[in-house]
This record gives sequence, structure tokens and C-alpha cells, in this order.
Amino acid sequence: MIWEVFRQEEQGGYHTHCGNVHAPDREMAKQFAAIQHGRRKPTNSIWVVPKSEIGELDADEIAFGGSTDKSYRWAPTYKSDVEHAAEVIDSEGQQAEAEKQRGDA
Amino acid sequence: MVGEIESPEELDADERDALEALLQRLADDEYVLAERYTEWQVRAPTLESDLALSNNAQDELGHARLWYDVLEDLGYEEHELVYERDPDEWRHSTLVERPFAEGDWADAIVRHYLYDVAEELRLEALEESSYAKIADRVGKIQSEEGYHREHAENWMERLATGEGHERLQDAVDRLFPHALTLFEPVDEQTEETIVDAGFRTESLEDLAEEWVNTTVPFLDGLGLETPAVERVHFDEYEFEVLDEELPDKRGRDGSHTDAWNDLHDEFTRTYRELGRSEATKIMETAE
Repeated sequence: MIWEVFRQEEQGGYHTHCGNVHAPDREMAKQFAAIQHGRRKPTNSIWVVPKSEIGELDADEIAFGGSTDKSYRWAPTYKSDVEHAAEVIDSEGQQAEAEKQRGDA
Repeated sequence: MVGEIESPEELDADERDALEALLQRLADDEYVLAERYTEWQVRAPTLESDLALSNNAQDELGHARLWYDVLEDLGYEEHELVYERDPDEWRHSTLVERPFAEGDWADAIVRHYLYDVAEELRLEALEESSYAKIADRVGKIQSEEGYHREHAENWMERLATGEGHERLQDAVDRLFPHALTLFEPVDEQTEETIVDAGFRTESLEDLAEEWVNTTVPFLDGLGLETPAVERVHFDEYEFEVLDEELPDKRGRDGSHTDAWNDLHDEFTRTYRELGRSEATKIMETAE
């Protein structure tokens, strides 16, 4: 039986899919997942889910986002690679510094 | 008192010998078991079980290393202890040196179970060791060992039906006598000194009693017979290992089964053939 494994790096973060394990039941699945997916990377929590319990819907079955043209959502005409004014650059630097001091960064 | 002894200079000659014997028992058990476990690498029944046992092997090697490192206090070096000691100077229990029955996963699991229950008990008996470095290292090892026992028990419970049950029983018949050697003394006098000096706070007799009172009821619950079952009083906690229950070779006294010579020859071969006098270090000495 295949169990999909989701790993959370730190408390409050998302559990992100990281692979799967073969195991006969939940208890063994948790144990194997701990070794295979929790031993080498920082891990706070692991979920194991029977693969058969996962519902899947893919792009062949449904038009995600509808079928009309919605390319305007991507706003490709905004330029983000312009050179900022000196005071903007200074301000960004100050904010980064402040974050560092608070221990956020 | 816990951790009152900081250095071997505070010990007399007998106590130093006893400390050395205790550390060798601990280190050699872990090292040799890890050597055997690695034989399963890429051969275990599934990828998951392969990784799980390799993981144990890696843990046990790390623990062996922590104990060999304490032996350096007594003037030894790790490479001498691992690669330059004669086979009959090793002090591990014969349980860990026995070869696995060809491709028999039940053999690996039974050994793993019998060993890790003993390991848990003896670590508890070292928590309050009078030798500071021993007491300091116990917690680190315990945090990994809890998982080992759980893993072994999970497998035991799942194998204990049908053909698996038969294989478990065969492995128990083969390995139980060897497991009893885990509680044999290096020699009586040394064992007495180990306890009197407070290096270990429980006697081997007490540890054997606790071990038998844990393993035998667990095996019994899975329908597995042990030679000792009739003598274990589940509630009264009385047990003494009888001489006739032990194998001829007991490991602790330096006597080993033939399989040990082969294994020793194998893992020291490269070192000898290359004429080495030191080992390559890929990691700094364990803290």
C-alpha cells in the first residue's frame, strides 16, 4: 500500500508533499516516512495519507480558470526591472536592516 | 554521585580496568551489530525496510564511536580499537556476531528486538553513572534508541502470523541463548568493580531479570516460545540465567563463535592489506 508523505519544516508552515512510502498500515507508514523524509531535512511534522484517499482532478477533465482568454490577469506590461529612485533603494535597505535587527530575516 | 569522576586519574588500577571493560562491552556490541546490519543493505525485503535497517546501522556506529571516544581517556585510539585489536580481545555479546540465516528477515528482526530491549535497559542503568563522560552521553543515545525498539516491535507484531510466525520461532530458538550472553560478566571481579565504582548503577543480574521479564511476556503474547518461559514469573520478577541455557562461547570473556573470526577478518582486511597505521577520518571526533 502506498502512503503519500507531507513534510512540514517548521511549526505553522505548510505540509508540503515530499514523496511516498510503501507500508502495510498507518503506523509503519509513519515510521518509514520519518526515516525516509524526516531524517535529513529540518522537520517539525509529517503527515501520511493513503494514496487511494487522495482525490485528483487534472487539466484533461476540467478547464481550470474557465475557457475564455484571461491573459489580462498576468499584467505583462508592468515593468519590474526598472531602476528605482535613490530614496526608494535607501528605504528598502533600511527596511531590510530593520528586519534583520528584529530577527525576522 | 552522578558524574563525580571527571578523569581516569581519579581511579585506582582495578577501577580503570573495570571502566575499560564496561566501555568495550558497550562499544563493541554497537560496532559489531552495525557491521552485521549493513549486510542487509540493498538486500532487505523492501526499499523502506532497507533504509530503516541502514538507519539503525548508522545510529549504532555513531553510538560505538561515542564509547570508543571515551576509551581514548584511557590512552587508546579509535583505529587501534577497531582495526588493530585481535578478535579475541573484543568483548561484544555473541548475539551481535552471529551471521544471519540466509536471507531471513525474521532473523534480523528478532535480533534487533532482543538487542534493543537490552540496550534500553542498560542505558537507563548508565544515566546516573559516576563517570561524567558516560552520564553525559547517555541522553543523546537514548533519543535514537526509543525509535529502534518501536521499529523492532512493530515488525515482530506484523510477522507473527502464518509462515512469518514459524520463522520468528526459528530465529528465537537460535538467538535467545546468545542474547543471554548480553548479561554475562567479563569476569566476576571486574563486574563487581563496575557496580561498586558506580560506573553502572545496576548489576548484570538485575538487568537480565528486567530484560527477561520484558522480552519473554512479549514473545509469549505473539505465541513465541522461549526456553526460559516456564521460569519467568511474570509478576514476581525473579530470574537467574542458568549455565546450561548459555551457549559455549559467550563473547564477553573473549571467547567467540567462528563466524566472528570471518567477520573480523573481513572488516579489517583493507586496513591490513594497505599496511595502515591510522584510519581516514571523514568526520571530526564525536562530541
